[in-house]
Amino acid sequence: MSHLPTERLAALVDEAPTPAELAHLASCAECARERAAYLSLAELASAESSRLGKPLTTWESLAPALVADGVIDDGRGLHFRARHVRRPWLQAAAAVLMLTGGVIAGRWSAHAPAFTPGMAVATTTPGDTAGFRTIQEARTAQAQSQSVYQTATAYLAQHDTTGQSSDSPSAMRARLAALDRARDVMGEALNEAPYDPVINGYYLTTLGQREATIRRLNTVLPASMRMTSY
Amino acid sequence: MESESLIIRHAIDGDERALRALWTRHAPHIDMVVRRLVGGDADTAADIAQEVWIQIFRALPSYRGDSQFSTWAHRIAVNRTLNALRKTRRLSSMETDVQEDSAAVEPDHDRSFVAESIEAAAAKLSPGARAVFMLHDVEGYTHEEIAESLGITTGGSKSQLFKARAKLRSLLAHLVDGKDVGLSRKDTGHVAPAY
Repeated sequence: MSHLPTERLAALVDEAPTPAELAHLASCAECARERAAYLSLAELASAESSRLGKPLTTWESLAPALVADGVIDDGRGLHFRARHVRRPWLQAAAAVLMLTGGVIAGRWSAHAPAFTPGMAVATTTPGDTAGFRTIQEARTAQAQSQSVYQTATAYLAQHDTTGQSSDSPSAMRARLAALDRARDVMGEALNEAPYDPVINGYYLTTLGQREATIRRLNTVLPASMRMTSY
Repeated sequence: MESESLIIRHAIDGDERALRALWTRHAPHIDMVVRRLVGGDADTAADIAQEVWIQIFRALPSYRGDSQFSTWAHRIAVNRTLNALRKTRRLSSMETDVQEDSAAVEPDHDRSFVAESIEAAAAKLSPGARAVFMLHDVEGYTHEEIAESLGITTGGSKSQLFKARAKLRSLLAHLVDGKDVGLSRKDTGHVAPAY
């Protein structure tokens, strides 16, 4: 009897041999060895299923795509913080920091002259918490500050052309990527120290600048390439 | 450690930390599935793995917990990878390969090639044969499941598998047969049986 064909031996890994094949395998050392080799191959393949490897993906590349896709709640940091911060003076401090830091950074990004914080927030400083008589009052001020900051940032992004010529789209994309990294870092820091006003301020400033950069970028990109998120 | 079901609930809500926790826990396995199906092209594998994870997280609200998350994500990874390979036409000749019973493996230009692992050896197979081998012998799919996934017949799946095994047996001779390293059936001068 001739030897079993190669593909038949390969099939015998998971198919039962016929009586004739069984008889041949019992008497032919070469075919028996080949069959054993295929069984070894099957064992190797089975072990392969549990082998782990270095991931092909990185969170740094995946996260922006998930944000753009709406899978990651981009406002998560704000919501997370709101659940944990219960001290009104800290909320007020964060709002002030957000406003001053955001405006400073906004002017900086527009290559404007240095800005004096007292110009914009002359009536409120972090030590001025006595100015709030109730939690509700502080919260209202916080909401107003956020609104003012966002409106100012949007306005500056769309109308303040100072220095825009030196901001190429590639430079703004690089800034956007850097701000994304900064946001991730500050977001993690916020998880560890949710009450820290400095971290709160930096985090909010980063978010504001990120939004401003997207808006600025949209003013220099063709309509078909404009971004609504990143 | 936070239970996986709780992490998944947070992830569905868009919590980045929870999403990242799932990715950290399962990427070594899921990305490996993609790598095995794609073969040696690392850039393509990385691109597809990225698509796979986006798809997994998009579909997360539909996860009902009927199976382990790893099993559910694994299934998405396989389907998404096969779809991506189809788009890049890597699997376009699959049915032709099977129906014509033509070479299911790519021409062996380098007969001295000795693979160090299943993954390296399988990279030498044609995309269709590699997909069938990986799905059946590594991932544990049945021929019926493979046929459905690849749009071929179960007979075609079996044919591809046996050809793939024969090729891999040769490439991995030093691992599966210590005595006859590099000696293929062709080299032994055996004659095919009459039955």
